[in-house]
Amino acid sequence: MAVLNRDEMVGLAEKAVSKALQKGAVEAEAYVYEGQATNVSIEIGQISKSSRIIDRGIGIRVAVNKAVGFAYTNIIEGHDAVENTIQRALNAAKASKPDPDWRGLPEKKSYTRVKENFDTRISELRSEDLVKVAATMLESASSVNKRVFPIEGGVGAAYLSSAIANSSGVEGFDKGTMMECSLAAVAKDGSTVTPVCFEFNAERNCDVDPEWVGREAGRLALSALKTKRIETKTTKLVLTQFALQELFYFTLINAVKADSVQRDQSPFKGKIGEKVGSENVTIHDDGLLPGGLRTWAFDGEGVPQQKTAVIEKGVLRNFLYDNYTAKKEGKQSTGNASRAGYLSTPSVEATNFHILPGTSSADQLMGEVDDGLLIYYLQGAHSSNPVSGEFSVVATPAWKIKKGETVHSTRGVMLAGNIFEVLKNVSVVANNERKMGQLVAPWILVENVKVIGK
Amino acid sequence: MKEVLTKVTDVAVQRFGAEYAEARAQSLYKTMLTLKEGRVEAAKQGIENGVALRVLVNGAWGFASVGSFNAEPLTAAVSDACRMAKTASSKLKAPIKLAEAKTVKDRVRVKPEKNPSEILMEEKIKTASAINKTALGYDKRVKSCTVDYLDLTGTSSFVNSEGTMIEQDKLYVWSRITASAMSNGVFTFSREEIGSTAGYELFDKETPEKIGTAVAKRAVEQLEAKPPKGGTFPVVLGPDVVGVFVHEAFGHLAEADLALSGGLLANNIGKKIASDVVTFYDDGTINGAFGSFKYDDEGVPAQKTLLIKDGVVAGLMHSRETARKFNVAPTGNARAENFRVEPIIRMRNTFMEPKDHSFEELVESVKAGYYFKSFRGGQANLDGTFQVGIQEAYEIINGEVGEPVRNASMSGNTLETLFKVDAVGKDFELSSGRCGKGQTAFIGDGGPHIRVKEVIVGGSA
Repeated sequence: MAVLNRDEMVGLAEKAVSKALQKGAVEAEAYVYEGQATNVSIEIGQISKSSRIIDRGIGIRVAVNKAVGFAYTNIIEGHDAVENTIQRALNAAKASKPDPDWRGLPEKKSYTRVKENFDTRISELRSEDLVKVAATMLESASSVNKRVFPIEGGVGAAYLSSAIANSSGVEGFDKGTMMECSLAAVAKDGSTVTPVCFEFNAERNCDVDPEWVGREAGRLALSALKTKRIETKTTKLVLTQFALQELFYFTLINAVKADSVQRDQSPFKGKIGEKVGSENVTIHDDGLLPGGLRTWAFDGEGVPQQKTAVIEKGVLRNFLYDNYTAKKEGKQSTGNASRAGYLSTPSVEATNFHILPGTSSADQLMGEVDDGLLIYYLQGAHSSNPVSGEFSVVATPAWKIKKGETVHSTRGVMLAGNIFEVLKNVSVVANNERKMGQLVAPWILVENVKVIGK
Repeated sequence: MKEVLTKVTDVAVQRFGAEYAEARAQSLYKTMLTLKEGRVEAAKQGIENGVALRVLVNGAWGFASVGSFNAEPLTAAVSDACRMAKTASSKLKAPIKLAEAKTVKDRVRVKPEKNPSEILMEEKIKTASAINKTALGYDKRVKSCTVDYLDLTGTSSFVNSEGTMIEQDKLYVWSRITASAMSNGVFTFSREEIGSTAGYELFDKETPEKIGTAVAKRAVEQLEAKPPKGGTFPVVLGPDVVGVFVHEAFGHLAEADLALSGGLLANNIGKKIASDVVTFYDDGTINGAFGSFKYDDEGVPAQKTLLIKDGVVAGLMHSRETARKFNVAPTGNARAENFRVEPIIRMRNTFMEPKDHSFEELVESVKAGYYFKSFRGGQANLDGTFQVGIQEAYEIINGEVGEPVRNASMSGNTLETLFKVDAVGKDFELSSGRCGKGQTAFIGDGGPHIRVKEVIVGGSA
């Protein structure tokens, strides 16, 4: 199915806004979304599935007497569907209660041209091309060692676009592409099976490296075969991006959202300008980062995305705002309103949460560790206390580091601590940054974390 | 609807030589609310209509999803799916085959006492506001309360190339309530979740006062709680924690797709992996329970599936594809979240069967350990490592439940831990929840109180 072009998408949004105003909305906003994705899946070690998913729809937000209503539909053809959706949004607003803090939809601002978020080659990829990429990845993993078994994974290519219009003059269209390949593998030796080891590569262009993904997944699985238990102690941790992503998503990122701060759910409340981390820690939320997985011209409310300094050399600088939370404090939105396509209303979310790299290579960082653990995959980060930052998670597998080298893997180690203490104990930040969901980060070395062995 | 779906599956078989084709149409209507401290953040309503098309050609799957009920785009999409399946089959080593399933023709209607689609948005906002008000009014140290509400009603139509035609009503009512409390620099967080496939009458039993109080009381009590000591301890687990343990630590291993992907259970069927007092079921037939339905998304009837009987692995949860690999009958566990995704093996209501101990009997022999009453979250790896975060915990000292404990979590290896279950209570509770496995599924889990000789307890101390 051909994708909708800029004029069709913006036209649909603008028409919905003017219809909503005619029907009695005081303010109106329409968000049109389209996603077309082709995937090839690996299941039980073989390529056995291909799929194509086309999803488009419109989400309409209206305000009537400071009460907000929202409705969406994935049926956008025909006169009635959108008209009925407008009516449902109005009905929802009328059933709702006025919000004294509602100070209107965002105003129009100009957008900068974002870089490296669209690759025309991705739209032309066919499932045959993706099968080739998946096969390369599988072969690469299997060639690591005969004890390595790829289990599941896949290759996906997607085209995404969105258009927005509101009654304050906002109007925008943006499109982007995404390609990803991923592989999970285990290693088996006799009756020993390792935990699942996972690698992936996601980019906004089609230059993903399936050969590297397969080799890394295989290498990690193989190195997890040799396993020993470790003792309970307070130790150094090398946190890879996998670990950082899990730990930060449920704690630190929540703590810097204006919504959490305003609702007394953040320990950072009132601490702008104060030291909250080691001076090795600088974090920017960068919605315009070239090639970033969350890089777009505008956010879910049509506010331009931007670069916001969150923590600089350990000092807390800014929180992340959407339009609502910003206006509540008389501030400007930082372009951090996020939406799940056309299905949801905006909420505050980080864009590319960028931990700025240091100068040490990963090897130099490892060299700083006489005795410690290298942490990849964590379980249970979502059971952290999102308000206090206390976590108690399981790392499986993790790798024991002695004199800068990994010597064996270990399973089921518990790590316990508080993410805000971890920030203060970051002693080295490496320069090997990579993109993982909303996180862009290198490896970091953290001192003094309690590890509970068996 | 049946006519167009039949026509599309015919195209796959007749024009593209598909071994199997299915079309699953959904027409769903959702209402969602989010209230924060009494403020209605947004009152939301949505429509999701579309068709999922799945075909098996040359032993490989092709799948397409389209947001339309019209013959033309559906025919184009099914043709696309067939061509993609052929492409995917080019590297196939073991062609996919399906276990036999009875042809079914049925129309399943739900008969709620209170149909959420007939209840005004105003009334739903009133209920959510009452929860919010109760929680915030419980104690001034309760600083925030978020109420999320969802109801979903509609129809799912399923047609396959074997002649099965099912039209099934869908009904879910769900709410999650979180509260945070703060005092002297201590932050606590508490969560409750309720759900039903029966109807809006859920709130007659789980009244706003009851759940609002429960969520706030826990957040406040945690303010005074102390961190646990890390180490290995005996524990008594409440039904809520037993449920998440059965689901996360064992249930996922018993999903046949994961068992085949290097999980622990594929080679353990018929073997003893747990102590004698351990019996687990996954049951899709419990009336009104959050994980119940009549037919799964491959048209297979839901059933009560025995997973472990007296410590011995009795069976796994299957789709038609995995059932064929194990040479057993499908169990009705293939579920798809919506028309955008294909069915995969999911749990329904997964629980431990109660036995004979009273709560006092479980606790009295524990000299120094913990009572884990309610969980915050849980996760497991295919190698059997599990972790469950606990939101409500108490010490047990000399056989008595003592002081509250904050931010505890337990972990271990599933198979080792199942052998350490040494006593099982006679009570029983089933909770409602959601499970993520790429897609979200509504599930139930539960059991009685149980005692486990040892688990690793982690805490922030």
